[in-house]
Amino acid sequence: MNYAILGLIVFILLAVAIMFNMLVVKRNQVDNISATVDILLKKRYDLIPNLVETVKGYAAHESALFANITELRSRAMSSGKAAEKAELDGRLAGTLKTLFAVSEKYPELKASEGFLALQRSLNEIEEQISAARRAFSASVNDYNNAIQTVPLNILAGIMGMQAKAYFSAGEEERKNINTGELFRK
Amino acid sequence: MKTIQNLSEFYQQELLPVLRPFEERRVKLAFNLKMLAVNGAAIIAAALTLKYTESFGVFLLVILGIWLIITGFTCYSLYSGFKSDFKDKVIGPLVKFIDENLNYLKDAYVPQSIYNQSRIFLATPDRYRGEDYVFGKQGKTEVQFSEIHSEYKTQTRDSKGNVQTQWHTIFKGLFFTADFNKNFSGCTVVLPDTAEKLLGFLGKTLQSMNMARDKLINLEDPEFEKEFAVYSDDQVTARYILSTSMMERLTAYKRNTGRPVSISFVNSRIFVAVSCSENMFEPKIFGSLIDFETVKKYYESLEFGAGLVEILDLNTRIWTKK
Repeated sequence: MNYAILGLIVFILLAVAIMFNMLVVKRNQVDNISATVDILLKKRYDLIPNLVETVKGYAAHESALFANITELRSRAMSSGKAAEKAELDGRLAGTLKTLFAVSEKYPELKASEGFLALQRSLNEIEEQISAARRAFSASVNDYNNAIQTVPLNILAGIMGMQAKAYFSAGEEERKNINTGELFRK
Repeated sequence: MKTIQNLSEFYQQELLPVLRPFEERRVKLAFNLKMLAVNGAAIIAAALTLKYTESFGVFLLVILGIWLIITGFTCYSLYSGFKSDFKDKVIGPLVKFIDENLNYLKDAYVPQSIYNQSRIFLATPDRYRGEDYVFGKQGKTEVQFSEIHSEYKTQTRDSKGNVQTQWHTIFKGLFFTADFNKNFSGCTVVLPDTAEKLLGFLGKTLQSMNMARDKLINLEDPEFEKEFAVYSDDQVTARYILSTSMMERLTAYKRNTGRPVSISFVNSRIFVAVSCSENMFEPKIFGSLIDFETVKKYYESLEFGAGLVEILDLNTRIWTKK
């Protein structure tokens, strides 16, 4: 009889330990991918000054656009709130697309090796950011499912784990780029 | 990609004059093989009914046996020559018709070192063979593919201590590799999703417990997920490679081939293995060679490899890899 009770206690402790580990692994995975997104965003921030300088050399009078990009970059880098940062990053991505759309007007710029290399790098980073955000959403989904379903929800409640927000594209990213509007700024 | 209309014109103008003499050779070869089969059956029947005390009967049987072996060898050498000429004069030009920049070597194949790099198959081959090697540069993309048959062996010992070797196929079919249009490191393997198809949720759970592979990645495209199971050492890289458009393209390719397709992405290269039990580029013996449908079938089999650059859009080089 005593062995049966001991066995039951060991089983419960083991089950709790496994569930605890599962929850921690899922939470860490979300944090890990979130850090990957930040690294990629940092890569994008680092690339922007070079890009702006290169384009300036050929299209000096697009100064309003450069100022807009520089300002958005510095605000996004210093922003502490996740939602605001996501919104600013979205706007920055939209403005960079406009920069490339503008380059179409300058054949010498379009043909410049330096500009083409930067364009390739930025395309790559944008696609990596997109992949990391997809991975982030998948890991958040996995985590939220775990903490909201029986029996993990009981332990998650005790551990104070709360549902995490998915990445959502900002208003600016959903809109089509309006180059005219940007040039009026 | 060439259209069926283009293929039809090529068939009429270029291939048909070449195929006619092959058809004559094929008919003769088919007749010889049928005769060989009939004679063989007759000799076996005679051997079973003959009284071995009759020395003349035994003598006759030995003579007929020798004749049968000689005829068999003759047929084999005729077929070998026929097959070799057919590949030079029909498959080679068909490869050039698909893409001028592709080259064809009938007896060569994708090296085993490249096959091993793919990490699609877990077993190491003990025997590795192949033929029908196609290679070249399609636009900006270096490609190569061929038929491959890889096998591993197991050995058992019977009660008398004799060792018996059994050969097991790892892969038989078309093996393709190309330089991928994005830079990445690590390994992402995309395998046919048989377990989930058969067992549903349980299958998915079993897949996630596959210790021989990297982590199972669940992707967002339900159609792609129906066809494939993805394992990767990095889920961000897996999603970078398997963009939404790439998933759609791979799903369409798999459904178009109608065969099991395995894909891997390893250190900026793509590998595709299309399973097929028969030899895709051998000439038929018991069926017309001058039929357009026969030529179309060879063309479609070649397109499983040669069409991949266009199907997967591998010449789009807007990223850092030129």
